[in-house]
Amino acid sequence: MSNNRFCHFKLVLLGDTAVGKSCLVVRFVRDEFFEFQEPTIGAAFLTQTLALDDATVKFEIWDTAGQERYRSLAPMYYRGAAAAVVVYDITNPDSFAGAKSWVKELQRRGDQNVVIAMAGNKADLEAHRKVDFNEANEYAEANGIIHMETSAKNANNVKALFSEIAKRLPNNTQGGNGEREAFPILPQKQEARNCC
Amino acid sequence: MKFQIELSPLLYSPLSGTSYKLSQLLLANMNNQQNWATPAPNQPRRLSTGESSNPPTYSRNDSSASSISYAQQPRGGAPAPRSSSLTPARNSNSGNEGIIVANRAGDEETEDGRIRNREAATKIRDAWIYKQIRARQDEFTQYKQGRVFIGTWNVNAKGKDESLSSWLCADWAQHGPPDVVVVGFQEMVDLNAVNVAVENKSQQRSQFWVEKIKSTLNSRENTMGDPMRSYTELSVKYLVGLLVCVFVKAPHKPRVKHVSTASVGVGVMGVMGNKGGASIRLQFYDSTLCFVCTHLAAHRENVAGRNADFANVFNKTSFEIGDEAVKEVIKLGSLNQWAAGTNSVGVSDHDVVFWFGDLNYRVDESIPTERVLELSEKNLLEELIENDQLNIERANGRVFQDFEEGPLTFKPTYKYQPGTDLYEQRPDKKLRAPAWCDRILWLAQEPGHVAQLNYLRSELNVSDHKPVMSTFLVTIKDVILSRREEVYKEVMKLLNEFENASLPMVSLDRINLDFGKVRYDQRVTLPITITNTGQVVAQFRMVPKLDENTLCRPWMTVTPTYGMLIPGESTEIEFTIGIDNTTSHLLNTSKEVLEDVIILRLENGRDYYISVSGSYARSCFGMSVDELVLYSDPIREVPLDPILRAEKYDFNAKAAMCVPKELWRIIDAIYERGVAERDLFSVPGSPDEVYQIRECLDTGASFENFSVPSMAEVLILFLSNLSTPIVPAAVFPTLDIDAQNIQSFARKFLEDMPPIQYNVFIYIVSFFREVLLHRERNKLSPAKIARICCSCLVSSSQGSPDESAGSVHQRKGNMQQLMLHFLETNSI
Repeated sequence: MSNNRFCHFKLVLLGDTAVGKSCLVVRFVRDEFFEFQEPTIGAAFLTQTLALDDATVKFEIWDTAGQERYRSLAPMYYRGAAAAVVVYDITNPDSFAGAKSWVKELQRRGDQNVVIAMAGNKADLEAHRKVDFNEANEYAEANGIIHMETSAKNANNVKALFSEIAKRLPNNTQGGNGEREAFPILPQKQEARNCC
Repeated sequence: MKFQIELSPLLYSPLSGTSYKLSQLLLANMNNQQNWATPAPNQPRRLSTGESSNPPTYSRNDSSASSISYAQQPRGGAPAPRSSSLTPARNSNSGNEGIIVANRAGDEETEDGRIRNREAATKIRDAWIYKQIRARQDEFTQYKQGRVFIGTWNVNAKGKDESLSSWLCADWAQHGPPDVVVVGFQEMVDLNAVNVAVENKSQQRSQFWVEKIKSTLNSRENTMGDPMRSYTELSVKYLVGLLVCVFVKAPHKPRVKHVSTASVGVGVMGVMGNKGGASIRLQFYDSTLCFVCTHLAAHRENVAGRNADFANVFNKTSFEIGDEAVKEVIKLGSLNQWAAGTNSVGVSDHDVVFWFGDLNYRVDESIPTERVLELSEKNLLEELIENDQLNIERANGRVFQDFEEGPLTFKPTYKYQPGTDLYEQRPDKKLRAPAWCDRILWLAQEPGHVAQLNYLRSELNVSDHKPVMSTFLVTIKDVILSRREEVYKEVMKLLNEFENASLPMVSLDRINLDFGKVRYDQRVTLPITITNTGQVVAQFRMVPKLDENTLCRPWMTVTPTYGMLIPGESTEIEFTIGIDNTTSHLLNTSKEVLEDVIILRLENGRDYYISVSGSYARSCFGMSVDELVLYSDPIREVPLDPILRAEKYDFNAKAAMCVPKELWRIIDAIYERGVAERDLFSVPGSPDEVYQIRECLDTGASFENFSVPSMAEVLILFLSNLSTPIVPAAVFPTLDIDAQNIQSFARKFLEDMPPIQYNVFIYIVSFFREVLLHRERNKLSPAKIARICCSCLVSSSQGSPDESAGSVHQRKGNMQQLMLHFLETNSI
């Protein structure tokens, strides 16, 4: 059964408000873009399949609310996630600081093997850039995470970002089954008792 | 769709559909057939239904003896080798076992007890995707016309120096050299026991023939010294007397992939190689081709044996091409279904299969041997063709199901006297009826993609069989990857839309609930309407936040907390804030604010956050006297924020009042206006007035003309709703009280009271003693007041939990006696 990998991965999007998390997801899943995307109040769930050379990867995506007041709810979504996309807005330095704190939080409280990708969104607004690409890149390299600048608006690097994540995800073809076999559920032994 | 990109000059490449028609015309003339299935490279885009290819319908031409009507090929019989509606019988002996898409090891039990197998789900989903893509292959495929030559010869262990060009190159003058040359031999060695068991001779002879073919194809005359005109040997496979070898023109070599061979013996004991098949498969550009060379069971009467041999070779032939190649086959759409963990493909998993060899079918025994001979010699073929066993068996669906064969236009190829062009009739030999033992058939997933240009025999005479050959025009797929990627994207987009549409969806008429100012003892309800706007049943439920056990804060209630909606249905969810003593205490101390986020989760869908907010309008109710004495302002003006509060008020005891001003205000009002009112503390007040009076106390507004019973009730409520009661449990008298010891108990009781509580207690007792002065009119008795005092000054819930009911009762009795004592005597 090694001929085709079947992989499902939970992926969560994190980042400050209005950096374009939902836009990235909508671009990735539906290849659409809306200039005025309503803020996500809650956590949106979408799926998207990505074909790699040797596997089909299905992402189960949780797009979270970026507003500060909902921050404490984020762990509900990044717990158990195989991958996290931390989004910032290249025209907003605060959002980059926010992204760093999200990365820290993930490193501290997320799953041990979570694949983290940092996306500098709104790359189409080069004229208003406030976050230096190299600075972000150095930060990402120092933390061993993926970094790309994306534009949900013109679709630049969106698919590439998810492909890159997919490539770094473990091949879990055997994972689930292996675990099941490693810990077989055996009927409990009845203790023999002499009653007479 | 045709793409104007560079065509390989060596491929017979029509630039438009017109050339196709030309070739059809040519065919119609050559074969005297009129209704060939039309090649259809421009099929309209459609969703595949799985019936992408139907067998072509041959129309019987009455004037021609050469075509056979297969208007409706009956199905059935042992193996059903290929059908997109039936399970292909790959890699299995019986063909009835079915394909298991995923191992049971991948089964997972879901929480609700259903079995889920993600591997199976993914494979089935992928299969659908590839089917959709294949159905649209015209959009991304450039179709090229390639010519494939198939030759087959039972050489009867002969063969020396004779030239093969009259066989292999017979039609080169007419059609030019083909792109692919496939040659099959049978009996290249004697089928004796030694040769069957030991392969030396077979190897030697196969080398001989391969070299001979190569030198024929690549003769100076053919290549004219140009290496690009020469043929490259791709693969050779032999099995005892069987040999199959494939050559391509040199320029095509880079576009050949995944060449693989297989052989199946079905002879002696069912496994020996004296009968069987040797096969080669490969990917030519993006078409998958399979060549099967067989030698089936002999003897005129053994039709069933030949049918069975065919089925065995068909089902047992398996090419181990590995994961990567299988994936490519799947992507090319040549494989209809997947077996679990397969790294091999079977005969039917190819775009085009050519099946040739000494199939050994004869003319039906109903025609006497002599007549067969006579008709054969006179080239009167019609009756013989009608009685050809292979034609009969195929028409009845017993063998070569779905395969096609061109009309027989040549004389039977067996059995000749070697070295002559005479049928074997020598007296010392057994007299045999001539037969078309040597045949070439094909099977195409797209019937229009194969057209037979000719079906001939050669007159080479060294063997007792004549060689047979056929050249085919095969539509070869050349996939433009970028375009296929686009189609893939579109298919995935469509699928994702459906998959995401199958997620539940609801709309909420609002997600922010602002309750405004919420007062003590007031319940405020705001509804949210939830409507199922999706296409599937939506189940919703409120879920606790991570690491929490409750859905919401204690001052909030939500009903219902779960529910189900069918599409279009809506329901109301009520969110209610109610502030009681417990919560007001928390709110008063700022340990709690009226803000919360409630998570509404759609099963299998998204989460919605419902934000709840309000501001607590403080009340003196639910506070403690210790705190109330600190504030000179109305409580509503005292900030909830402890820092602001600390800035505004001096918290040292000297600044504090003796009793809370609220207590003073209400008692003073009763004292002024109703101390003598009849049935004071017995008649209930009006709830509306009670609310208004409390507001006056909280805001500092002056009292209107409220009724005395309402004011009396507010007093009792104020006292009984204090966050800590006036009489702490610690000072309860626990021993029996009698007339002798009551004085000392009373003194001890008062001494033990904390100072503020002492003040309040004295103040209240003094008030009630004043009230008792008017007992004639207000009809109150000390006993009744003692009872009232006990109920509102002493918390009924106080006392240690392990205390017995009896002792609680005793202490209450004691407390009542004590109260009575304070009210009746002048001990304060």
